[in-house]
Amino acid sequence: MNASLIVLELAVVCLGLILLAQDLYTPAKERRTLGYGAVLGVAVILLYSFFAFDGNETLYAFGNAYVLDGLALWFKRFFLLAALLVLIMAAEYSDRFEAGQSEFFALILFALAGMMFAASANDFTLLFVSLELITVTFYVLVSFLRRRVESLEAGVKYLILGALSSGFLVYGIALVFGVSGTLNFNELADKLTNHPALGHKSLLFTGLLLVFVGLGFKMAIVPFQIWAPDVYQGSPTPTTAFLSVGSKAAGVVLLMRLLGTAIPDLAFKLEKLLMTMAGLSILYGSLCAVPQRNLKRLLGYSSIASAGYLLLGFAVMNKSGSSAVLYYLAGYLFTALAAFSVIAIVVREAGAEDIDSLAGLAHRSPLLAATLTLAMVSLAGIPPLAGFFGKFLLLKAVVAEGIRWSAYYWLFAVAVAGVLVSLYYYFNVVRAIYWSKNVSDFKPISLSLPTKFALAICIVGMLWLGLYPGNALELAVEAVKSLKLV
Amino acid sequence: MNVGLEHYLTVSAMLFCLGLLGVILRRNVLVIYMSLELMLNAANLALVAFSRFNDNLTGQTMVFFIITVAAAEVAVGLALIVALYRKRQSAHVEDLTSLKL
Repeated sequence: MNASLIVLELAVVCLGLILLAQDLYTPAKERRTLGYGAVLGVAVILLYSFFAFDGNETLYAFGNAYVLDGLALWFKRFFLLAALLVLIMAAEYSDRFEAGQSEFFALILFALAGMMFAASANDFTLLFVSLELITVTFYVLVSFLRRRVESLEAGVKYLILGALSSGFLVYGIALVFGVSGTLNFNELADKLTNHPALGHKSLLFTGLLLVFVGLGFKMAIVPFQIWAPDVYQGSPTPTTAFLSVGSKAAGVVLLMRLLGTAIPDLAFKLEKLLMTMAGLSILYGSLCAVPQRNLKRLLGYSSIASAGYLLLGFAVMNKSGSSAVLYYLAGYLFTALAAFSVIAIVVREAGAEDIDSLAGLAHRSPLLAATLTLAMVSLAGIPPLAGFFGKFLLLKAVVAEGIRWSAYYWLFAVAVAGVLVSLYYYFNVVRAIYWSKNVSDFKPISLSLPTKFALAICIVGMLWLGLYPGNALELAVEAVKSLKLV
Repeated sequence: MNVGLEHYLTVSAMLFCLGLLGVILRRNVLVIYMSLELMLNAANLALVAFSRFNDNLTGQTMVFFIITVAAAEVAVGLALIVALYRKRQSAHVEDLTSLKL
């Protein structure tokens, strides 16, 4: 028992509870300050994580169900940073809720706690509980604008498909437990090494596939992606942002743990499946995004494509692939949050979510225009921004595997085709910002100080990851050291 | 007749398939939601049976977690469905069409 390891998660949960209690003593007009209080609290926890743990050794707690190593810490800091930026966005957005502003902030914190537990999951029980903590909180966050039928509809769609995927997940866990007799990742790996016959049982493999369905749903990979565009479009923008960054990364870390810790001996059997799904996600996301006019829906499809690129790093099954996944995610954090922050403000000003509502943004607010342009260029994967280097590392890992099996060259070709298609729709957005003909509104948009701060963090992050990749890459390589991959 | 592990697993697999069929074929959101709960309970049955016949209590504890989480999920889910019903006066999936291309 080593309960002091969960101090970060406890701090986040307590912060959420304090927020809910403080809500009783705060007049309705000042609820936004509670949001900024939550931002400060998360910032303090993020700083504390650097003093409290260094991640050089692997620590266990709660009967090996909870693990704290470099990978867990990397993801915990990732989630904290994402929540920090999302909370700033939510505080800005909160005047559009009729009631329940503080609950919105608190729910973001509870989802954050779920993600941080997911980063440390070393047991199917914790995997399931943390995943459900995230999903159930998101049901509420997605449908938070309950006067808008789109928001409710997105919530119900997410609910049905989310519950379906957790049904598959739970049944998969039951099958894995039935065959192996354990729910712990380390014990499962030991049993598979000591009794190779266990790995050939089809029931175990079916179970693992069903678990994979549950994780694939979180990451929005084809064919579990149907919910993504609708939910991205219908939810309040801060929720969409957190969904696209936090929820996806939670799926990524759990898949990484599962492949790298629990079933390293069986992982090669999933190789073809992962390759197919990666290719399909990239193609589906990129091609379906082309005709979209709604900005959030566009980013929904683009996030499916991103999930495909992330899967490339899993398909190669080695450490350089995994570190590339982390690097891509870090870049994606700054890029996606920059894009959604700008969209949240533009949508408030224009009252519509169309690409056309971006017209004249270059005159109205050069900072917003520049941020969104950088975000789109980074998503498209053009140097020298974060997105380019992430995609470069992933594709490099894929090409390196081509020597072993030539199918990887085809995967590489598919990924490059996806990048080329995506250039078209990302530059459509940039064109709407700078070269739109029918500009009707020249009123400047004023930005609050915290928003400027959040945008500055995103811009610095995108440029830093793109121009000086060395340090960040070293951190990513350090973080995946504990995985049992080649 | 001696009831063994395979009998429990067959029932569990049947429950799971029934639930899945319900989700795919039924058109009422409430019935779909009920079918989803059926799928979770199929997994519970499998876990308990595996636990009982392998003398390993880990599966039983997992069931407690699943039941608790399912209760939370139902509370949120029903609230959502009721809110949508108030807005739409309908609980049919064909009417969920405001988010389309």
